[in-house]
Amino acid sequence: MINLEHKSGQTEELKKLDELKPHKLIDLRGAVCPHPLNLIRDTVKNLKDREILQAVCDHEPTAKENAPRFCKRRGYPLRVIEQNGVWQIFIQKIEKTQPRLQVVNVSKLFKTNYGKVTALDNISLTIQEGEFVCIVGPSGCGKSTLLNLIAGLDKPTQGEIWSNGNRVTGPGSDRVVVFQEGALFPWLTVMQNVEFGLKLRKVAPEIRRTLALDYLKLVGLDEKFHTSFIHQLSGGMKQRVAIARALVMEPAILLMDEPFAALDVYTRETLQEELQNIWTESHKTIVFVTHNVQEAVLLGDRVIVFASNPGQVKAEYEIDIARPRKIDHPEVFLNTKWITDDIKEELEEPEHRTNVEEMANR
Amino acid sequence: MSKRLTKLILFYLILIGLWQGLALLKIWPEYIFPTPLGVLKTLLTGFEDKTFIIGILISMKRILIGYGLSIVVGLCVGLLIGRIKTLDETVGSLVLGFQALPSICWLPLALLWFGLSESAILLVVILGSLFSIIIGADTGVKNVPPIYIRAARTMGAKEIQLYTKVIIPAALPSIISGFKQGWSFAWRSLMAAELLYVGLGLGHLLMMGRELNDMNQVIAVMIVIIIIGVVVDRLIFARIENKVRERWGLA
Repeated sequence: MINLEHKSGQTEELKKLDELKPHKLIDLRGAVCPHPLNLIRDTVKNLKDREILQAVCDHEPTAKENAPRFCKRRGYPLRVIEQNGVWQIFIQKIEKTQPRLQVVNVSKLFKTNYGKVTALDNISLTIQEGEFVCIVGPSGCGKSTLLNLIAGLDKPTQGEIWSNGNRVTGPGSDRVVVFQEGALFPWLTVMQNVEFGLKLRKVAPEIRRTLALDYLKLVGLDEKFHTSFIHQLSGGMKQRVAIARALVMEPAILLMDEPFAALDVYTRETLQEELQNIWTESHKTIVFVTHNVQEAVLLGDRVIVFASNPGQVKAEYEIDIARPRKIDHPEVFLNTKWITDDIKEELEEPEHRTNVEEMANR
Repeated sequence: MSKRLTKLILFYLILIGLWQGLALLKIWPEYIFPTPLGVLKTLLTGFEDKTFIIGILISMKRILIGYGLSIVVGLCVGLLIGRIKTLDETVGSLVLGFQALPSICWLPLALLWFGLSESAILLVVILGSLFSIIIGADTGVKNVPPIYIRAARTMGAKEIQLYTKVIIPAALPSIISGFKQGWSFAWRSLMAAELLYVGLGLGHLLMMGRELNDMNQVIAVMIVIIIIGVVVDRLIFARIENKVRERWGLA
């Protein structure tokens, strides 16, 4: 029995695939020409989302290689059962879900006193629902600019940004930003800061309070600080509040602009760990900008490396390390080293080299 | 605190002692160099026969109306030119120019427009404080950290909410400083204007002292003017300013 699992989340569904009633049954026994896979492909094409095809087949390569490859490419759950040289193939059609975020050929020019500066040059990115993507690059590579564009705080000179199939034309509370230190409102208490966005949304006071309390608890801020003013908090506590203030809006995408850059090493490690936990629990889509390769490797499913002058995507890495990850985990260390070495090789100009070294050393 | 208070009391006692000593030498006639006791007597009679009280009330009424109007107009203009570039480049320059003009210089214009009337005085008081208030609000708005505005916009704030929920609170320390400076300019302008206008205000009482060759009254009214100025500035504005700065984490 071959049991192929393509997506961890679908295991449960997959097990039941042959127990569910197939919507379409085709018998491919004896079919060699036309090729059985062609028949499968055509039949699946006519299925609706979530419908299941059962194919009976006596052609071994189709059952063991072609059909699995076909399904894997498309992310369709598959189950193949063999009985005396006859294979039962179950395929469930899953329509491609919309990417959570799409950045399409985006360029951004800034006019300065010295002329035009290309901050971003033809960037394209696709980010899926629930992904944790880290964007790394030296300062001035346009990574924060991209985040601002995604947040809708600024408009691209060229190209488009799509959030869940909707064109981004301005800020929206589906995309909330956590900034580096200094974005909390000093005239409000911690509690009022967290309630701020909900108040704009005209959420009733009791509900506001409950939600704010929930999220302050989630980020682990001690209750005795709820009525403190911002200048009375430490750097780490401020960033906890900032994360709570963003999460309470329940955004589909959390955009984080070097949120831990100003923190001391110990506080940063604690917050990185907690952010991982928050992400594992909520499975929010997170786009995290940093200049620290190690931080990117520690946190991200995917690390996108930016180069500067003009800002563009230099490389992309899938980080396949089990979670929760620790900063001193050997795999985190190795991946960091590989990426750092790669970047060094790719950017040969000495000025870039120093930037990259700086990035790696932090 | 008590040590500071002792020092203060001692200082003023010595000062008054010196004054009294100098007066006892009788170098100058009393209408040129009055005695502390004479001034105190005038102060007491002034409050007893209510001329000082009426003077204070009339002056306060004028400044409250003038300063109040100034706050309303100045706040609106300042908040707008701080945020709208075109207005800043046009109206902003005009404000800076007028700020350079001592407000009493408006009096001839006010007299020609309104004659010797309440309105003329009000105009001088308004123009005395208006520009400080505008500049305070304008500076406050311009210095709002852009990150506050971006943070609010990312949480869904629209332009009006940005003003009421972010820009005004963030600019408040500077707005209060503008109010404080505006108040002292308004007070000065009012006194100057009242000197030239018969209308029972404190400035008028001061001028009356001169006309009657009554130095006691001159000094007594000056003391009243100083005390009102200090009380409002120290006890009201300085306190609000400190509270706000402390809460905003600026202190």
